[in-house]
Amino acid sequence: MTQKPSFLSLLLRNKAAAMGLVVLAVVLLTAIIGPFLYQVDPWAITGQTLLWPGVDPAHPLGTDVLGRDVLSGLISGARISLLIGVSATAASVMVGIVIGGLAGYFRGQVDNVLMRLTEIFQTIPSFIFVIMLVAVFHPSITVVVLSIATVSWPPVARLVRGEFLSLRQRPYVQSCIVVGMGELRIIFTQILPNAMAPIVVTASIMVASAILIEAGLAFLGLQDPNVMSWGAMIGFGRTVLRTAWYLSAIPGIVIFFTVLAISLVGEGLNDALNPRGTGQ
Amino acid sequence: MNSLVRYLGWRTTQSIGVVIAIACINFLILHIAPGDAVDIMAGEAGAGDPEYMEALRKSFGLDQPVHIQLFHYLWNLFQFNLGYSFHYGIPVSELIFDKLPATLLLMVASLLIALLGGIVLGVTASRRPGSIYDTTISLVSLLGYATPLFWLGLMLIVVFSLKLGLLPSNGMYTIGKNYSVWGAALDVLHHLILPAVTLALFFMATYTRIMRAQMLQVFGQEFVRTARSKGISERRVVYRHVLRNAVLPLVSLFGVQVGGVLGGAVVVEVVFGWPGLGRLAFDSIFQRDFNLLMGILFFSSVLVVIVNLLVDFLYALLDPRIEVVA
Amino acid sequence: MTKISNRDRLRLIGGLGAFSAMNAIAVPAAVLGGSSAASAQGQRTLSWSVNPEPPSLNAAFTSASIVQQVSSKMMEGLCTYDHELNPLPGLAKSWEISPNGETIVFKLREGVKWHDGKPFTSADVKFTFEEILKKRHPRGRATYANLEAVETPDAMTAVFKLSGPSPYIMSSLAGAESPILPKHIYDKADPSKVREVNAPIGTGPFKFVNWERGSHLMLERNPDYWDAGKPGIDQLIVRFIPDTGARVVAFETGELDLAGGFPVGLDDIVRLSKEPNIGVTSFGFAMLGAMHYFEFNMRDPQFQDVRVRQAMAHAIDRDFLIKNVWFGFASAATGPVSQKLANSYSADVPAYPFDPARAEALLDEAGFPRKDDGIRFRITHDPSPYNDRFKRFGEYFKQAMATIGVAVDLRIGDVGTWLRRVWTDNDYQTTSYGIYNTTDPSIGVQRMYWSKNIRKGVPYTNGSGYSNPEMDRIMEAAQVEPDPMKRKALFADMQRKAMTDLPIIPILNEDYVTVYNKRVQNVEGDVAGVYGTFADISIAS
Repeated sequence: MTQKPSFLSLLLRNKAAAMGLVVLAVVLLTAIIGPFLYQVDPWAITGQTLLWPGVDPAHPLGTDVLGRDVLSGLISGARISLLIGVSATAASVMVGIVIGGLAGYFRGQVDNVLMRLTEIFQTIPSFIFVIMLVAVFHPSITVVVLSIATVSWPPVARLVRGEFLSLRQRPYVQSCIVVGMGELRIIFTQILPNAMAPIVVTASIMVASAILIEAGLAFLGLQDPNVMSWGAMIGFGRTVLRTAWYLSAIPGIVIFFTVLAISLVGEGLNDALNPRGTGQ
Repeated sequence: MNSLVRYLGWRTTQSIGVVIAIACINFLILHIAPGDAVDIMAGEAGAGDPEYMEALRKSFGLDQPVHIQLFHYLWNLFQFNLGYSFHYGIPVSELIFDKLPATLLLMVASLLIALLGGIVLGVTASRRPGSIYDTTISLVSLLGYATPLFWLGLMLIVVFSLKLGLLPSNGMYTIGKNYSVWGAALDVLHHLILPAVTLALFFMATYTRIMRAQMLQVFGQEFVRTARSKGISERRVVYRHVLRNAVLPLVSLFGVQVGGVLGGAVVVEVVFGWPGLGRLAFDSIFQRDFNLLMGILFFSSVLVVIVNLLVDFLYALLDPRIEVVA
Repeated sequence: MTKISNRDRLRLIGGLGAFSAMNAIAVPAAVLGGSSAASAQGQRTLSWSVNPEPPSLNAAFTSASIVQQVSSKMMEGLCTYDHELNPLPGLAKSWEISPNGETIVFKLREGVKWHDGKPFTSADVKFTFEEILKKRHPRGRATYANLEAVETPDAMTAVFKLSGPSPYIMSSLAGAESPILPKHIYDKADPSKVREVNAPIGTGPFKFVNWERGSHLMLERNPDYWDAGKPGIDQLIVRFIPDTGARVVAFETGELDLAGGFPVGLDDIVRLSKEPNIGVTSFGFAMLGAMHYFEFNMRDPQFQDVRVRQAMAHAIDRDFLIKNVWFGFASAATGPVSQKLANSYSADVPAYPFDPARAEALLDEAGFPRKDDGIRFRITHDPSPYNDRFKRFGEYFKQAMATIGVAVDLRIGDVGTWLRRVWTDNDYQTTSYGIYNTTDPSIGVQRMYWSKNIRKGVPYTNGSGYSNPEMDRIMEAAQVEPDPMKRKALFADMQRKAMTDLPIIPILNEDYVTVYNKRVQNVEGDVAGVYGTFADISIAS
């Protein structure tokens, strides 16, 4: 735990990661206070449709097919897209920790059964599976989040299992077992905190990929029609791609920068947390 | 070698279990779905007739209770019978084998591009960490990682097909033209470039990053230092010693990513009109063509399992240090 | 001429490396040797896009419009139609209808041959109507319900014996709707399983060559077509390109010559129409009568008061939709029958012009005042998920209702989910969808309003649950009325009633278009457009 003070400085020393952090902070701020600063209803149909960016100061980024303001869409989309990314990741990390942890801690038959389960979900082609889930259970935001989580947890489970297997053998854990500490307590106070570093790194990448998956679903027309996410905006703009490409390009670029920022931060975290870097 | 055979036998048995479980999961999820193939067909027809629909359901076996249907399905699977496609009315296996070559070609091509590109870029970046090359390559690989696949495909079409007119935007070959053997082959390659590159870029980004990290790690190891101290040229050190050791994890990643590439293929096949399995799967979801979709998922799961077995095997062969323990 | 199939090409590529020698070249050298570019050059090839890919190729067993498009090139009907949808000779040279409307005598065209060389006779007509269309065509059961038998006094005469007058039969005989099949091929235990269902043998101007699923369908000129000299195309390639953006590009690069319906995004049609080499025509879709309907679930307590339904009709701005969602390719509907059905359309109906203030007043009157949060009540809306403009309508509707204080929760599932919700489970409050009037309101419109057609599980029937005995009586009378003028009056009553009770708000007539490369000639030669035979189309050489 003595590493802690140097961690942030390590992260910030990495220029790319620092830049990523800045971009991410901007996106987060937009998501939190944006709607208060720019009070335009993203769904409201204004008179002007398909207005290009920069033409009318009332709509700095233009309007879409139905005359909805693009900027306010982006702002409210920031919330939704981050929410989808973070909650899908949170859900899959939780499942991954439970399954991987149980498998790694108890080993034997438990491990065997849970790892087969993990293998099942790793073998099904994940994107096709997500499409199937979302199509079957209607594209609502909850379904999208849960579907993404359903296919995203296996790598976490494998990672956690590996960490648990090795940490379990460490002398300090062994001594806790000898002392007679409860299993849950050992798991939550001794093993899990020490396994968190690689989990955090993996999770950061997963947020990025969840945002990309959501955009992919929206491209295929599988988005929640009541919620303005960046992916949904691309979906709305897709039909007029050739005449009003800015409608897909703007949210596309925003997704690109956000995902890039998250990846940079993730990479920085990785370097800062394990300086030797295993690349895994 | 005996232990290797035993190991592989054990892995194969396990994999069969996994594949059966996948078949059951898919079956159950699809049967929770509201609506069936007959609804869709009646909807497409813009009209329907209750007796007509009932007769169709009966002929598809959709009037049976779910557990009976599942039992029938599994029983047929054991006989390698994937059933009939409701939508197309021909055997699922026929449809799959019709489309398989196109998808395999796309997958193999893009994985090769990704692998070669990833190795070259990763090695280049790792030779002088922190240099301008390294930074540029890292940035480019991040670009590949952060761009939505479909968006990239659309942009490539706009640039290379529409603006420059260099490459075809759609399909797999020029229909209705008579070519010689080589002409036909070149024609397909010509059509393959855009979709394969689109699909490859994402995976290339991953490979580049992992390759770079691996190279850096191996550079630090004892035997490299020994080799250098023996006065072996740097080029030889890189290519003979470091590269060989760094490529191993890439091989295993290759196995894991087969499923992912197939998923990416859905989007790419839709964007480029590539007549492959991904598109077939996508359409079958919306047609509620359960047999077809389950067939494709089953088939691709088998594919993933086989590739992974091969990777395990390759791994064991390439790296004698790895002990295979059943 | 050498043809290399898809699979052979892959084998060839396989030979290049990817699959090594394992499954390398299985194509005999002799086949590959004689490839001649010269024979290909003289070919007049038309590249036509159809989307989505049809599940089968024979419209006798399905009424899916996508199958009708391709089937009609290979198989023909007894009649074709003029611009007012009056019947013209097809495989039937002439016909005579008895005064009581219960007998129709068809004189068939002589010298017509099936693609396999066998002659076309009245036995084929008898077999097709009695065994196929009446029993296996989804709409045929209803259309030919009164058809008791087809008598064949000689090889070139077919006599329809009807149990009652069925005026709509004469408008249902086009090749797309009622194709004639060769008896000698389909006279089997299960005709729908005959191989030729997907490799049709017909009398049409084009012969089946091969079908590469997921890629294209190849047809070639029928040299023995009865209308000598036609068609003006040697090779007809039907391409299946799933992405609308890709179809636009294919038009721009000249890879595609023709596509009907709304083949590309509507804004792209506007843009393409400005290209010098591309033409756009709305001609050729009159026989569909494509409409866009909004429907209430009449079982829902909130919609019992007609004023609520009227209020919602007043709150929909059709001009906005036409301009911004349909990009001008639609016109406002006044009632359930399309203006294009000149023989049955009536303008004399209650109208609901766009008037949000009136809408709010009606809702107040009906006892749904705005509450503290400004909302009167909440409803769900399930737009048809078939295409983007229908989904966009849903988004517009949500906003339009918000302005009059009705909160709408959109539910967009996939097609299977939507069909089940609306027509099987009736688990919806409002829905909207595209629907075809076809050529006759007794076939295409009655089904949505007739209380005897409330049939769970069957799409595009009376899903709203609307039931009015007076309405039933009017429609049933129109169904059997042989006199055209009296029939038209009955249809006018029906339209007035429909717009008074308002279980359905007809929103728009969709003006489908055909987009074509201008090297294609005589695109407007056939009133059936892309549902016609393409016999009249030719290509500038």
